[in-house]
Amino acid sequence: MFYGKVIESSKGSLSLDKAQQFIASEKCGASLFFIGTVRNHNNNKNVTGITYDSHDAMVEKSFKEIFEEASKKLTIEHPAVYIEHAKGYIPLGGLSIIIAVAAKHRSQAYDLSRYIIEEIKKKTPIWKKEHYDDNQSKWLKGTPLIDPSS
Amino acid sequence: MKIKIELFGDARNFSDQDYLEITLPELSSIKEVRENLMDLVKNKYPDNKNYLEIVKCSAFANEHNEIVQEHYHLSTHTKLSIIPPVGGG
Repeated sequence: MFYGKVIESSKGSLSLDKAQQFIASEKCGASLFFIGTVRNHNNNKNVTGITYDSHDAMVEKSFKEIFEEASKKLTIEHPAVYIEHAKGYIPLGGLSIIIAVAAKHRSQAYDLSRYIIEEIKKKTPIWKKEHYDDNQSKWLKGTPLIDPSS
Repeated sequence: MKIKIELFGDARNFSDQDYLEITLPELSSIKEVRENLMDLVKNKYPDNKNYLEIVKCSAFANEHNEIVQEHYHLSTHTKLSIIPPVGGG
């Protein structure tokens, strides 16, 4: 079972309740919720918020591909995955991502959750612009999807 | 032919709009798109080496939301997205 969506911050917010309802299953003994939030510092600067940009269609496609890859590479019984990522301005402490997973056993749930967040960081077309307490802002450097030397 | 490129992340700074339109010869490929954008950035922001690096490191996606390679040939109907280095979560 899979669900993945980008949520525009001006239109809605990420929902732990929906995540919990989606992954609930009597077949699963382990549920895990990874929640990403906006923290108050990065690279010795005081962060006040982050603007997230995303290519929505590619993000939702990428989430599904990552779920399918995980299902092939990892041994997960009865996997259920719910992913939401924020788009737009998120203030300090606000939720940027929810990855809710359920599986038969806890080790499977931990492996699945970790796999998904690490792959999202490397592959999914989402970008962060940090805002600082001196009213400056900066797009953060990321991981290229191509090898620029080739 | 005119090619529309949707902008994301740091590449949004390349235009006041959400996209750029560039004119290329028929049968051009992503290689020519990249070269055209590098020229545009060099002319518009001669002191900003970061923007040049973004163009060098960016992938491009077609209208089917697939990453396309350097030799991918374009048609008049092609709509591209520039995909700078990613980092969500």
